[in-house]
Parts: sequence; C-alpha cells; structure tokens
Amino acid sequence: MQQGGGSETEVTWEDQQNINKFSKLNNRFHELEDEIRIAKETNDNLEDASNELILTDEEVVRFQIGEVFAHVPKDEVESRIEEMKEVTTKNLEKLEDEKDSVLAQMAELKKVLYGKFGDSINLEED
Amino acid sequence: MASSSGSGEVTTERRGIPGAQFVEDVQTYLAQAGLDVNSALAFLQERLQQYKLVEMKLLAQQRDLQAKIPDIEKCLDIVATLQAKKGSGEALLADFEVSEGIYSRARIEDTDSVCLWLGANVMLEYSCDEATTLLQKNLENAKASLEVLVADLQFLRDQVTITQVTIARVYNWDVHQKRIRQAGAPAKDS
Repeated sequence: MQQGGGSETEVTWEDQQNINKFSKLNNRFHELEDEIRIAKETNDNLEDASNELILTDEEVVRFQIGEVFAHVPKDEVESRIEEMKEVTTKNLEKLEDEKDSVLAQMAELKKVLYGKFGDSINLEED
Repeated sequence: MASSSGSGEVTTERRGIPGAQFVEDVQTYLAQAGLDVNSALAFLQERLQQYKLVEMKLLAQQRDLQAKIPDIEKCLDIVATLQAKKGSGEALLADFEVSEGIYSRARIEDTDSVCLWLGANVMLEYSCDEATTLLQKNLENAKASLEVLVADLQFLRDQVTITQVTIARVYNWDVHQKRIRQAGAPAKDS
C-alpha cells in the first residue's frame, strides 16, 4: 500500500472502500488464474483421452468412475468424455469472462485511486 | 460485506471476527484512543497478525471443502452409473484397488442398494435413490458452507486491508509531524 512519503492526502471512507474492493478483486484475479490453469489442464487431459480412444482397438475400456475402473464400452466412454469436455469448456469460458470483468473493474479502480493519491499509493504487483 | 453507514465508523463483527475501525482522522484517532504513535502501530500490527491467523484457518477450511465437493460428485457419479446399469441385465465389471497398487476385478450384479460410509466407523446401506438424495443434500450443504466461508474470507480481507491502510496512514502522519517539527525548529533559530 502506501509508503511513507509524508504527503498528507486525506483518506476517506469511500477511498478505503475502493482500496478494499481493489484488494479483493486482485485476490479473486489470482484465484481465477489458478482455476483457469486447472480447467485448461482438465480440458487437455480429456482431449488426450479422446485421442487415445480413437487410436485404440479395444472394444471395452477401463473408465474411472469414483474410485474404481469400470469396464465400459468404447462408444459410451466416447460420449461421456464429450459430455465432460462440454462441461469443462463452458466452465473455462465462464472463468475467462469473470477474469475479464475483474481486470476491467481493477483498471477502473486504478484510475480513481491513482487519480486521487498519485505516487502515494502503489497498486502494482511486486 | 461491511455496510457503509455514512460515518465510516462501522465496526461490525462477523462470526467472531471483529471489524477493523476505519480511522477518519489520524490525530483524532490517537487522541481518542489515548495512544502515542508507537503503541498505536504496535496495536494495529498485533491486530493484523491476528487477522492473518484467522485467514490461515479459514483458508484451510476452504481447501477442505473444495476437496470435499468433487469427492461427493464422484460418489454421485458412481451411484448414477449403478442405477443406469440396473435393469439392463448386464453386470458392471469394475477393477478396484484392494491394496495400494493391487487391483482385483468385481462383478456388480443388479443392485438396488449401496453402502455409504457415514464416518465415525459407521456404514449404512441405502437404496440407490436414497443414497442419491443424501449425497445431493451433502453436496448442497458443502456448497452452501463454501459460500459462507468465501464471504467470511472477503469480510476478513476487508478488515486486513483497512488495518494495513491505517498502519500506513498512522506511519505517514508521524513522518509528516516530524517533518513539520524539523522544518519549524531551524527556522526559529535563524
């Protein structure tokens, strides 16, 4: 936050709330980055799995449900993986949208806070 | 979220977490609290440490819940699979782990029930429908708790930010005061 410059800009409750909001958004931003990374990994794994399925000659494959590997016909596994891909893709889109909105709000708050405090406030990551 | 009541002196409390007081004016704050700069800073730092401690506790709870939710979803998934197999006449063949790294094959014939581990060394047999209902309820509960927890964390982070800003302001105010005094002293001498 602010470093001791000694300049006295009055901090109002409204400023404080903006700073709080910024801090929370920043936090959420990092959470989102993690969640997006995980969602992408899941997506890649599903992609790999469906590619492997195309290559295999087996009619029945082991498909993990819960803790066990169930013997499931290949076609059914294919459709289940497609369904799972759809879910994760949607989830990924939702996360990306939220990230964009968070970034936009942060940019907005930066304008307001830098506008008032100038060099007395630091909103950048180290 | 902390509701703003004009004055800015909202010291609300949420689930045992005390709210941080927003300081309108540093000088008045110090005078009212009867503290000098150093003891005020020490007090605020201590408060900050306490907040951090609570934050760690809440984050651990959040992690637990975040792990629990996919677990329940997995359970629901397998119960749904069993139910789908029921009546099809086929048995479900499954490889399961008997010990770490050792798998055996199970044939699960038409089944109406599953056993749910309830914890505390208790396992109970449920019909698939009942199991689904129970698991669904657990899932909803877990999601609701997570939501409350996230709100708690947000409230806590607000208090942390307020405290950090207050520390910076008290510190700045002190530096400013010292400068004024320094600037004032030599001016009188000359």
